[in-house]
Amino acid sequence: MVDIEIEIDGSVVHGHSGESIISIADREGIDIPRFCYHKKLSVAANCRMCLVDVEGNPKPQPACSTPASAGMRVHTNNEKAKASQKAVMEFLLINHPLDCPICDQGGECELQDVAMEYGSDVSKFNEGKRIVADKGIGALIQTDMTRCIHCTRCVRFGAEVAGIVEMGATGRGEELKIEPFLSEGIQSELSGNMIDVCPVGALTSKPFRYEVRSWQMNSVESVARHDLVGSNIFTQTHKGKVKRVVARDNESVNETWISDRDRFSYEGLTNENRALTPKIKVKGEWQEVSWEAALEAATSGIKKNSAEAFGALASKNATLEELYLLQKLTRGLGSENLDTRLDVANPSSTSALETTISLAELEAIDHALIVNSYLRLEQPMINHRIRKATLNGAKVSTVNSLTFDFNYRVANSVLSAPQNTLATLSGVLKALLEANSLALPDYLKDTKVDQAQIDIASTLSAAENAVVVLGEQVNSNPCADQVAKLVTQIAKASNSKTLNASATGNTLAAEKVSFKPNGGLNAAQMFTANLNTFVLLDVYPTYDCVDSTAAIEDLSRDDAFVVAINSFEDESVLGFADVILPLASFYETSGTHINIENVAQSYGASVKAAGDSKPGWKVLKVLADLLELPGFDYTDSPQVADDALSLSPNVATSEVDIIAMEVPNIATVWQYTPYASDVLTRHAQSLQQTQIGQISEAVVSAATAKILELSQGDCYKGVPVNINETVAEGCVFVHTNQARQR
Amino acid sequence: MIKKVKKLVKDFGLGDIRAGMKITAKQLVADKITVQFPEERTPISPRFRGLHALRRYPNGEERCIACKLCEAVCPANAITIESEMRDDGTRRTTQYDIDLFKCIFCGFCEEACPVDAIVETHIFDYAFESRESSIIDKKGLLAIGDENEKAISKARLEDSKYR
Repeated sequence: MVDIEIEIDGSVVHGHSGESIISIADREGIDIPRFCYHKKLSVAANCRMCLVDVEGNPKPQPACSTPASAGMRVHTNNEKAKASQKAVMEFLLINHPLDCPICDQGGECELQDVAMEYGSDVSKFNEGKRIVADKGIGALIQTDMTRCIHCTRCVRFGAEVAGIVEMGATGRGEELKIEPFLSEGIQSELSGNMIDVCPVGALTSKPFRYEVRSWQMNSVESVARHDLVGSNIFTQTHKGKVKRVVARDNESVNETWISDRDRFSYEGLTNENRALTPKIKVKGEWQEVSWEAALEAATSGIKKNSAEAFGALASKNATLEELYLLQKLTRGLGSENLDTRLDVANPSSTSALETTISLAELEAIDHALIVNSYLRLEQPMINHRIRKATLNGAKVSTVNSLTFDFNYRVANSVLSAPQNTLATLSGVLKALLEANSLALPDYLKDTKVDQAQIDIASTLSAAENAVVVLGEQVNSNPCADQVAKLVTQIAKASNSKTLNASATGNTLAAEKVSFKPNGGLNAAQMFTANLNTFVLLDVYPTYDCVDSTAAIEDLSRDDAFVVAINSFEDESVLGFADVILPLASFYETSGTHINIENVAQSYGASVKAAGDSKPGWKVLKVLADLLELPGFDYTDSPQVADDALSLSPNVATSEVDIIAMEVPNIATVWQYTPYASDVLTRHAQSLQQTQIGQISEAVVSAATAKILELSQGDCYKGVPVNINETVAEGCVFVHTNQARQR
Repeated sequence: MIKKVKKLVKDFGLGDIRAGMKITAKQLVADKITVQFPEERTPISPRFRGLHALRRYPNGEERCIACKLCEAVCPANAITIESEMRDDGTRRTTQYDIDLFKCIFCGFCEEACPVDAIVETHIFDYAFESRESSIIDKKGLLAIGDENEKAISKARLEDSKYR
């Protein structure tokens, strides 16, 4: 790229040759009106709003599609440019209804702003306006297509970013309509971004519809903590309630996009199941009490039993501060029984895999091997980066137990049930080592290699910047640590980077503060050890625990004293808990999220906690004070975060041996839909009504179904069975939003 | 000398008193300008800004669409509005309160209203019996509108050619 000098409005500015005039102007802070141009989307040049006068050209030129060349002299506000902008504005307004007063975009509308600045004050148009019938496009986006100005940003977003072409332009001229191709509505997990890119009120947020006007809200900077990325967001609040969440630009984290889960989960905050008052159970009856009384009950219950019989379980989505204080409290009491890995089939073999790639680097890869992951739904923003790489020619291979619907082409796909994953990965590793004529370790001596594994290995070794991604479904595998080791070895042998997406939310914060047993009991062992005291931090065993029935049975024992610090109440929590301390949920508490790049992002509370609930760090601090534990002299959460971040986690480097463990002939992979992944999203109504939110099927192949004596329409662990051949033999893939059953 | 004589004639001829009595006599037969309020009222400009009202369309549907422009423009923050989507999909208010102690009767709310829903009527003689009754809610405002719709629409019509 050559640096060139051009002149815009008389001032000399620098750009690269081939760069559009509008992007140079944007960088220099020179205002050019536009509708269809978006910095992250391709150039369509169909709105003509950015017409500028380029000297030497008889006609005004669109700034978005005119490349700058050396010595070019551009005028953005001389008479010629102004006249063409005014004319375009008049044409755009011909068919735009004047319903700004009832339009949710009113006040933050690009069309309104540009019309005020560049339009004329009266319209010459007296004829009838065009009306477009609306087609519903799902529970998240409200359409008002009469307002559409055909900028095609949403169409290009779907094709280029979301990777699912769902919206399109049909008809020509007056008949041109932007509409969904399918009547089922939008299916993308990033669809909410269409609301952000729409310059008018044609696409607006459905849950937000008619709630408040844009100027009434305060925008508070925050961080979404549903996934490993920690997307930067603005929570927009009004009268102490979160009314809307929109994306906040951060090029290194989420660019300008956020997932629908981050955008719409706020609805759960006002759900009727929120725990709002402290409660204690007296003779089997719940009594609402003051915080003092509830804390007193919790303290005396905890003090009654010995430290060895104390266990603490926390949600993966808790803040760094909460996790730090709870581990400090637990260790202060003298217990090592603490864990967040409730959904891991075998917590004593967790996938220890280091992430060695940054989000930005993901865009530059040329090959990705995705193991045990439906990355598109699990980590939408990470998947988006990989998709960007595939657009530049990167290839993707997968080793999964189900054929997933990725939004890019998968070159090599190997179906492999959990019990065969080790063999498959061993085959890939062996093929890799053999191809590079490296020495084979003992455990690969007897491994058989098939063609599909050789294909993956050859693509991997041919790639210069490859990444191996390990996903959430590995948690259903009892030998997850061995899978992780093989992934590490494959990455080593092929000189690839690794990305550990196996634990989501704020798991890296839990790692940071060592929120796992160091010699004590892990999540699974705690429920079999007859512990007397449990402290649960936002844990809902029906959803979170692998064996939820056993967990609830154990928590319900008469001699088990359970303190639930929960933001929501459900039947099971009310059943087994003895004290409920209401917890401030997402956006109601200050905290810190550690993302996949190990970047700690702190955020403040956006709104006051609902009802009588309190931020977790305060609850835990006071609880520790009442338990007379030293070292809890904190006055605000940044102090806690500072302490937590100064810790260096004790990375246990235990050697993992690859020995095929005994696994059942038929394994179950349990995967939650992204909208059932944590307690807040589970309570967000609109998300549940989307197609992704309604997924609930146990996919099983015909042969496996025969063994299990299942037929289409039966229920497997409470989930409807779907028999088809997209799933690996010997496994049942449960993809659901329902609570776990035996 | 002549001046002095003239003054003497005027003083002894009760000149000032006659001039005064002349005005009195004129007023005695002239039209009376005293208005017997409240039985009688002075004429009011169609632009007079008195007590607020919310109007309805002739079919009985309330005009207000909860755009909140009046709330935004109100310099005294006297207006509070909450909105919702009604079952028929239209945008409506669930709450529309005006605090008349805060209101400065500037008329910006009616200027801002895109549907002529909030208007200021010609009613200026009202009183409160308790502090909290200074806040009129949606029901009260609609009642004022219903009661005075004739006068309101007449005033709008008269003023329409100057708008």
